[in-house]
Amino acid sequence: MAITYDLVKEVTADLYNWSLRRIPESSKAKLREAVATETVPHARETLALMLASAETAETTGRFLCSDAGVPSYTIKIGSRVRMEGDIRQAIVDGFEHLVETIQPPIMRFVTHPLTNERSFKGKDMPLVSYDLLGDVDYMDITCAPKALGGGRWAAIETLVSPSLEDIERCILEMVMRAGGQHCPPVVIGVGIGGTFDHAAKLSKDATLRPFGTRHPDPMVADMEERLTRAVNQTGFGPMGCGGTTTTFGVHIDYASGHGFTPIAVSFNCWINRRTRAKIYNSGVVERIE
Amino acid sequence: MNTSSLRRLHLPLTPDEARTLKAGDLVLLEGEAVATVGMPTQKRMVAEVEAGREMPLPMRGGAFFHMGVCYDEENGRPTRMHYVNPTTSSRFNALMPTLIRGLGLTALGGKGGLSRESVEAMREVGCIYFSFVGGASALLSQGVEKVVDVAWTDLIMQFRLNQIRLSGFGPVTVAIDAHGESIYERIMVSAQARLPDILETLRRPSQS
Ligand code: SF4
Repeated sequence: MAITYDLVKEVTADLYNWSLRRIPESSKAKLREAVATETVPHARETLALMLASAETAETTGRFLCSDAGVPSYTIKIGSRVRMEGDIRQAIVDGFEHLVETIQPPIMRFVTHPLTNERSFKGKDMPLVSYDLLGDVDYMDITCAPKALGGGRWAAIETLVSPSLEDIERCILEMVMRAGGQHCPPVVIGVGIGGTFDHAAKLSKDATLRPFGTRHPDPMVADMEERLTRAVNQTGFGPMGCGGTTTTFGVHIDYASGHGFTPIAVSFNCWINRRTRAKIYNSGVVERIE
Repeated sequence: MNTSSLRRLHLPLTPDEARTLKAGDLVLLEGEAVATVGMPTQKRMVAEVEAGREMPLPMRGGAFFHMGVCYDEENGRPTRMHYVNPTTSSRFNALMPTLIRGLGLTALGGKGGLSRESVEAMREVGCIYFSFVGGASALLSQGVEKVVDVAWTDLIMQFRLNQIRLSGFGPVTVAIDAHGESIYERIMVSAQARLPDILETLRRPSQS
């Protein structure tokens, strides 16, 4: 048995479709928590509206946002996976088919970076990154569409032999630059070390972690807690209109590197669109998020 | 949320009505507005204003939103409305003062707010800015009755000028008022002021 073109085409399109209509469970839990803990009355109202809207989207199948973003996938492939057909093309074709059939329709967001022309397809679209997993017989696919609000504030800075304090200040500066422009409460993903591209990838992957999970390294877990608290002290609040809930969590990961230390920070808006499934060699599809 | 007690504003507002609102007010919207998310659209609007020409839809003294609208169409005419949701206004900062003054706009809307130059233009003209909750399309769309008219159909749907009729749209927050008060500015200033303290507490080990 093998993972086929048809299956990947169908699953990747479904993951994108589903992601547009429901927020992850851990985001819902965080919203509920925040409605109770937020101290600014106006911000509480906004959080309650967010929760009610997310619940409406989920029960009625409506979209969370009019901006469907662009499809972006992280695919981890087990070393025992067998594939049949052109899997890369399957993802492109799945998106093309979805665009033609999805109800309600989505609008054109795929933008040529040099001409600003918009359509439903383009070079490297859908955006996919491939990783290898150990000795397993499945493909682990995460779909996390990215739109302008959640995408444009990502930044990377490379410091030379920084102290922990330097790194944390750098992260907070990037948070200040974004202010409340990215539809907070956001998830913040931080990648530290490695090389430029590696740090960026760590940062992106960190945004995909469900809320409530801690980094296994206690030093990093402690940073996450302290930075989450610090970001919430800025006061930007829901939708940047003031409040104590600016982030639901700062997620950090790091890689060893040389003395130069890239620090990548990326965000995702409160709807935090993300779906995930595993496809096994047997053809079984296990929906995870 | 119980919205029945909220003030309902009927768009378009007169400048005097706009001046009765304060930054922080929570309201519901009725009436009509023109919405777009297009940069090319707003550049074209600026060119039209500067050339002294009128807009293809009634916009003078009106409400103008940074908001995407998705609908079905037949023969270039809008039929069924599907959904709406705001986009980031701050990326249009450079264009907005000309549009606010040139069209005498009395209400703006979107997310993320506008710069000081726009806030000044709004104060002159008598104009407020509403913050719409991004990502709350499922609820906000219920407050849009229909797409009344569209113009500049050579552009993609969300870039056109889309005239919409609202009924109980919101709740929305007055985030910039017509007296020069901007919630965004206030919050940015206070966040900057807090930063040294925040960095100081950051160094303390976490309690948990
Ligand atoms: S940043 Fe805001 S407007 Fe953009 S996709 Fe997210 S919720 Fe929607």
